[in-house]
Amino acid sequence: MNVARSSGYYRTRYGEDFALLDTKTQKAWCAVFVAALLAYPFVAGPLALDLANQVLLASLGAIALMLLTGYAGQISLGHAGLLAAGAFTTGILFKELAAPFWLTLPAAALAGAALGVIFGLPSLRLRGLYLAVSTLALHFIVIYAGGEYETRRGFSTGIIVDPPRLGDWALDEPRAWYFVLLAAAAATLLFAANLLRSRTGRAWRAIHGREAVAAALGISVHRAKLSAFVVSSTITAIAGCLFAYYRGFVSAEAFSLYLTIEYVAMVIIGGMGSLLGALLGTVFVVLFPYAIDAAMNLLGLAERLSSVVFAVNYSAFGLVMILFLVFEPQGLVGLWRRAQDWFLLWPFKQRPLAGPR
Amino acid sequence: MQIAVNIAVLASIYALICCGYVLIYRATRVLSLAHGELMMLGAYGLYATASLFKGHPLIALAAAAGLALAVGLAVYAALMWRMTGESVLAAVLATIALGILLRGAMMLAFGTLTQHPLRDLGWENASIGLPGGARISAVGAALILSTGLVYGGLFAFLRGTRWGMRMRAAGQNPLLAAQRGIGLHGIYALSWGLATFTGGLAGMLIALDAGLESTLVIIGLKAFPAALVGGLDSLVGALAGSLVVASAEVLLIQYVDPLLSDVVPFFVLLAMLVVRPWGLFGTREELDRV
Amino acid sequence: MSAPLLRLEKLEVTYHRVITAVQGVSLEVAPGTIVALLGTNGAGKTTTLRATSGFIGLDDARVTEGAVVFDGERIENLPPHRVTALGIALVPERNKVFENLSVAENLDAAVPRPGARRRRSIELAYEIFPALGRLRRREAGYLSGGERQMLAIGSALACAPRLLLVDELSQGLAPLLVEEMMRRLETVRAETGATILLVEQNAQVALEVADYGYVMENGRIVLDGTPERLRAHQDIREFYLGTGGGTGRRRSYRDVKQYRRSRRWYG
Repeated sequence: MNVARSSGYYRTRYGEDFALLDTKTQKAWCAVFVAALLAYPFVAGPLALDLANQVLLASLGAIALMLLTGYAGQISLGHAGLLAAGAFTTGILFKELAAPFWLTLPAAALAGAALGVIFGLPSLRLRGLYLAVSTLALHFIVIYAGGEYETRRGFSTGIIVDPPRLGDWALDEPRAWYFVLLAAAAATLLFAANLLRSRTGRAWRAIHGREAVAAALGISVHRAKLSAFVVSSTITAIAGCLFAYYRGFVSAEAFSLYLTIEYVAMVIIGGMGSLLGALLGTVFVVLFPYAIDAAMNLLGLAERLSSVVFAVNYSAFGLVMILFLVFEPQGLVGLWRRAQDWFLLWPFKQRPLAGPR
Repeated sequence: MQIAVNIAVLASIYALICCGYVLIYRATRVLSLAHGELMMLGAYGLYATASLFKGHPLIALAAAAGLALAVGLAVYAALMWRMTGESVLAAVLATIALGILLRGAMMLAFGTLTQHPLRDLGWENASIGLPGGARISAVGAALILSTGLVYGGLFAFLRGTRWGMRMRAAGQNPLLAAQRGIGLHGIYALSWGLATFTGGLAGMLIALDAGLESTLVIIGLKAFPAALVGGLDSLVGALAGSLVVASAEVLLIQYVDPLLSDVVPFFVLLAMLVVRPWGLFGTREELDRV
Repeated sequence: MSAPLLRLEKLEVTYHRVITAVQGVSLEVAPGTIVALLGTNGAGKTTTLRATSGFIGLDDARVTEGAVVFDGERIENLPPHRVTALGIALVPERNKVFENLSVAENLDAAVPRPGARRRRSIELAYEIFPALGRLRRREAGYLSGGERQMLAIGSALACAPRLLLVDELSQGLAPLLVEEMMRRLETVRAETGATILLVEQNAQVALEVADYGYVMENGRIVLDGTPERLRAHQDIREFYLGTGGGTGRRRSYRDVKQYRRSRRWYG
């Protein structure tokens, strides 16, 4: 029977509820987007390519943090510590054993998983603020351990890591890096999206909502929390490993608390509880300092303020974060959705229900 | 003996910083991670007033202290009141963002050079001999003294005055407090003001002792494990926690490794979180409320 | 009858923008009287009370229609502490006292209405509840249920209210204690001249002291009148007092007793 077509679309099969892309338009847009991503390195200049690589690299960490904080609701202020763990595992294995990347990468992932358990253990007893603080403490301890290794072994300025090699071919060219990082980011994104549709992902959302209720529904709260920490820190440590190779250099200084804050800012500015948000936030946060730079150049302030560019960046970043927290807690995704709604409804504008608010 | 003196000075630094964390947490349930920056702002306030009131060091100190109080009130009025009712994470992140903003703004305004407010005030940091052969710097002695005064004052204020009682009442049960006619925003602003005042005082004294530079922020961050070890909602706990953390730090630096200085407080904190998450003197039920 | 001290005009309260908890409630409380607002769970009593005491915004609820007028001033959108400053004090149902503060500190923490004499209001609380005087230094968390209730009323009195709102006084108290408390409320009125709005499930005790009563059901006022009239009303007798009936078809007090007896047998 052919029912008269109505506006909107309805899901008629169970599978459609689970589809990642469920309309033809979405699929088409997605294909265009992928094509654009693949074509990008052939048109972009060296700076634009480096920026894209930075965004892709950071997006791994941002997705990992989004899984942990945005979906499972576990606050972590130790993200830089986990990146450092991945990077240092790589650096140390390379320096001490001259290990190739196909050994260091799994080793970093393993180190990340182990640290995930350690970072996650406090979450079994602690919540909210106290959890944030315990992860912060772990951050300092990981950084201390890294710094200690550097000074003990005499690499006081940092560990130099050679680019990964496969036979004669070395991964040292930005364009090649772009494709490697793009593949890594895409794989992480797909993994995260699929994980969130699985039982584990639903358990995470349940414990985010209310732990007691989740437990009453038969979800093992401990397992869900630990798995969130382990998955998140494994991805983060892999990102740390790639970071070490991409920069060719590992140093404890690079993993300051400020880096953690940048990642948290990606999640916040992007919009909690959305993978798209993690990506948008990454783009925003990574490009932000360059945008400020460009703006200062345009205004002709660059010469006068050249010594304090860093300070300008700092204060502008703090200000933007405050503005988002106060005025748009939904983040960029909130803006994006509102824009979508606006276009969807245009020209029929809908006013919110009247009433004192 | 010298070690005991060192512990006492470090503990009073931590304690003076900690009471800011405790005051804000008790009233508003927010952990202010901008405290280090606010301390530094207090110290720069002293730097500014020192050049303004040349030759009148006491007036400069008083003006700087007043300035710190005003800054605390302004922080609440401009930003933190919007965070009431938001999630813990959002509020803590707002303080972090505020810290970054302040740090950048201070670098812009005052540069990155190390300043020496002590010299600007025209004072000497004399070394005082103590019985038993130990020595303490004049500023160190002033630190211990002012920590004592601040804590004495806070206890008297919270226990003895009506506003102090209202502050405790609001921290414990904000709804009932509002029903009893207590204006919560007033109380919260007051606690931010007091916290910034004490933090600023700590910043000024540290700057007098060791010069004014960006490491001040790290000292502020290192003090908050002390607050947690003692129990975030207890001033007595802040004192005890500062003593524990300071002793651990001084002893380990002395006998094990000087590089440990930056992490010892966090080791102590982790140990405490594992054994007794609510701290030495904290309230146990707090954990479930956050 | 003089102008009412508190007047609700066709009050309508909506939760989360969709659920209407109270619809078109109008009631008047004349100065110097004790008025009872009766009803079972979910009738909308507490919502009405919250709208009056300024707490409505906290549960994502708002007054969508009508007004709350206190002494000629509209107060439905004022924050709680401003409402208290006008002279309305609430004795809440739960979380009645500051548990970490001593009894004396609980009374001291209250902010009295501007123009009222603070010391006098606190002394009055001690006079009406002499037991509190003996417990001055005791931390409120260690008080018994009855003592807490006294402290809750006492600290509301420390705000020097012109209108005292009492939420579920009888809950969790022994029947004898409830009667005692009701008598104390009469003393409060006599001593301070305060007007009292009692919100109660226990109609029996509330109607003993009240000068006038309202009955709420499903968010509306269904009945009002003097206690004599209400007590005589068939439905009130049956559902709220449990003494009426006689038709035999509906559950009466006697049937309840019968049921208890039979259960003892089975048990």
